[in-house]
Amino acid sequence: MPDLNLLVASIISGLLIGAVYGIATVGLNLIFGVLRIVNVGHGAFIMLGAYLAFIVYTSLGLPPLLGVVAGLAVGAVLGLIIYYLVIRYLHDAPELATLLATFAIGILIQELVKAVMGPDSRGFVWNPLAAYEFEIFGYKPSSFQILAALSSLALLAFLYVVIYRTRLGLAIRAVVQDREGAMVVGIDVERIYAASFALGIMVTVASGAILAAYLQTGIHPYMGEIYTLKGFVIAVMGGLGSIPGAFIAGVLFGLFENVSYLLLAGIEGVQPLVLTRSIAFLLLLLILLVKPTGLMGR
Amino acid sequence: MTAPEVLRVEDLESGYGEMQVLWGVNLRVPERSIVVVLGPNGAGKTTTLRSIMGIVRPWKGKIVFKGQDVTMLKPHEKVARGLSLVPEGRHLFPELTVEENLLLGAYTRLGKENPSDTLELVYNLFPRLKERRQQKAGTMSGGEQQMLAIGRALMSKPSLLMLDEPSQGLAPKIVRDIMETLERLRDEWRLTILLVEQNIAQSLKIADYAYILEQGRIVLEGPAEEVAKREDLVRAYLGI
Repeated sequence: MPDLNLLVASIISGLLIGAVYGIATVGLNLIFGVLRIVNVGHGAFIMLGAYLAFIVYTSLGLPPLLGVVAGLAVGAVLGLIIYYLVIRYLHDAPELATLLATFAIGILIQELVKAVMGPDSRGFVWNPLAAYEFEIFGYKPSSFQILAALSSLALLAFLYVVIYRTRLGLAIRAVVQDREGAMVVGIDVERIYAASFALGIMVTVASGAILAAYLQTGIHPYMGEIYTLKGFVIAVMGGLGSIPGAFIAGVLFGLFENVSYLLLAGIEGVQPLVLTRSIAFLLLLLILLVKPTGLMGR
Repeated sequence: MTAPEVLRVEDLESGYGEMQVLWGVNLRVPERSIVVVLGPNGAGKTTTLRSIMGIVRPWKGKIVFKGQDVTMLKPHEKVARGLSLVPEGRHLFPELTVEENLLLGAYTRLGKENPSDTLELVYNLFPRLKERRQQKAGTMSGGEQQMLAIGRALMSKPSLLMLDEPSQGLAPKIVRDIMETLERLRDEWRLTILLVEQNIAQSLKIADYAYILEQGRIVLEGPAEEVAKREDLVRAYLGI
């Protein structure tokens, strides 16, 4: 049995990164929920956000979390461009076409970033409130990581307000529930698709800037791939298309990853980092066994 | 009929993919009247309304609404001009409340005007909806859902209300209520109505003019009372 202090510490750090995992998956689920398109290039948009945080901090000398704001702006423009250039022609295309198209867009973004920023791994350390750091059960979360979790919650709140408190959000919910019903009440369904896609990309790029809190040396053009994979697991776990489901599943995923790492590390002859990943899939299987549509799926 | 027409459909052809459903449909809907289109299953009644609304793109022909050619406009542009459709199967938003469904009916006006006046009118027409305003649309009975679908279509303040088989799957008493409501809408709200139905007796009772559609063509038309007198002929066409 591991030290109780360590256990509590890993629960706390699991919750902190879980919030980031959650917000990094919400955009994927929003796009799937409204457009029924799986964005296979998801991780590339996260990578873009991480670079934004890096540039904001190292080139502009501003707090890296301002990369969240930059991510929202870049995501909006990029999302609209991709929607009108590619996605809108694929509504009635077979699923394979949308999978390949989003996969290609992901690769394109990776290669463009590599051309501009180079292939090297970058990163930075930022700890603005080091003076106020505190210890819980022997664990000292960095202030960047705490601010990252808070930023995730703020971003989730932003999305909540857009979807539940605005005319656009009402229209998005209407399109999700009945596309033809939305048409007959006079909603321009095409525009709602564009807006939802852009909104999903906005949140995803912004979440990459938040994730930078965990990437002290790990920002490189191909870093997104693992988050595409994690994103799919979390999205299915939470229920495809469900935004609260994605966030809750993200938190659970972070928690499970951290705690299982700690528990596995206590077993002799086991490589915890390798096994942690398979444990996460085990969690997915268990959840799907009990509820095949995911935690909040319909 | 001397009343000015709200809608005129000329030689409308339409279909899905490779399959042609309508082969030249002609319709006239005069102001403040109820026009009914009768026809058997698969005759193209729903396709006619969906083409007029722009959900299905017309292949050929012309749709003239209030004197303007609206043939190729998109559904949301047609709603903004005063066309409104109660679709077959209602297509409500099941997870939203009754009131949210109604407010969405006023979507093209939201933000510009306050829809609460229209909301009150709809609640007066269907007091049941007011009682259930906070209930989720998907949890209501079929009759209540049909009222909601009609109420939602009225929220856009249309000049032409189109209904696709509103009596489908409902008990006879509720069908009579709905037909009475349509009469009230014509007489009190001064609305123009284009109704598609399979219920011959009930719909001819309230209609002013009737068309019989068969295999994508109009095969018979006339004032409703005259069509009603030739019920044997109508039944032969409808195959019942």
